[in-house]
Amino acid sequence: MRMLEQEQENDDSTEVTWEDQQRINTFSKLNTRIKSIETQLEVLKQEKEALDDLSMELELADEDEPVLYKVGEAFLHLPLPRALKRLEKDQAKIESRFSSLTVSAEEIEREMKLLKVTLYGKFGSSINLDE
Amino acid sequence: MSSSLGKPLTEEKNPRGIPKAPFIEDVEKYLGGPDAEVEEPLKNFQDAIAKYRYMDSNLAQRRVGLEEKIPDIKKTLSMVEFLRDRREGKTSTEDDDDLDIDEDGAEGSQSKPLKTTFELNDTLFAEAELEDTDTVYLWLGANVMLSYKIPAAIELLKSKLEGAEATLASVIEDLEFLREQLTMMEVNMARVYNWDVKRRKENRLKAEAAGKSAEG
Repeated sequence: MRMLEQEQENDDSTEVTWEDQQRINTFSKLNTRIKSIETQLEVLKQEKEALDDLSMELELADEDEPVLYKVGEAFLHLPLPRALKRLEKDQAKIESRFSSLTVSAEEIEREMKLLKVTLYGKFGSSINLDE
Repeated sequence: MSSSLGKPLTEEKNPRGIPKAPFIEDVEKYLGGPDAEVEEPLKNFQDAIAKYRYMDSNLAQRRVGLEEKIPDIKKTLSMVEFLRDRREGKTSTEDDDDLDIDEDGAEGSQSKPLKTTFELNDTLFAEAELEDTDTVYLWLGANVMLSYKIPAAIELLKSKLEGAEATLASVIEDLEFLREQLTMMEVNMARVYNWDVKRRKENRLKAEAAGKSAEG
């Protein structure tokens, strides 16, 4: 929130009520929350892409050659079928986290949009809710 | 209301003892009248904001620490779980999963040690062979390492992971709470400030009007 401009100093109509304050609070809270979700999604997306690449690579891999698969900090020399199983599991795990985060991001965005409408409706240009 | 003057924080607190910021319903009432001083309350608000900011940066740091710790625990856990599955795979062949492996290594798999490549140092890797084992060593910190049977290790790691995740959740909750209090304080500042600007302007207009009527 910024200080009022000169010509708005006389504008009495924008009394802040407790409800407004709560809306502003929620908005700012959701704003921080969505930013953290966005960073998490970014990381997950990269992991997901890496696993997708990996699954492409493994399709071309030699059956008899063991695959170096990273678990924790070390690489395990796994036979190909075993590696594929692990990969599948890892992919499923990431996929489910990714979609649950996407869902909550969408929910937050919807809520923020509603709050924006209400708050801009009441305070007009005396409040700034955008980046 | 005058009792709350000079006390910008309320008695109410969140579960971790962070005080709540007050909401000002009526600026004039809060300050104590149309001629009240604004310097003092504004300074108090600023102090309170500084305190909240300080807590905010502390908690943000804790959050970063936890967010680093959790993946570490997860990595260790997935390795220990791998060791468990591998061991169980050898004793029971009910699972299709395990049949796969047995087919693969036909005769050898029972005794063949697992080959791993691990990081010895940055960019330096070495190979190691893991004998079948039911014991792992967990680094507990403070230069202590303890040996655990695999199930006990998994239990310990899981409880550590849950603990860390719960702490992280409450830290995030506190951070969000702080954000709300900061927003409230900023709104309070802006409103008291604007109220003061408006009052000054009105007083000036009144004085001008009085001056004019005195002239005329």
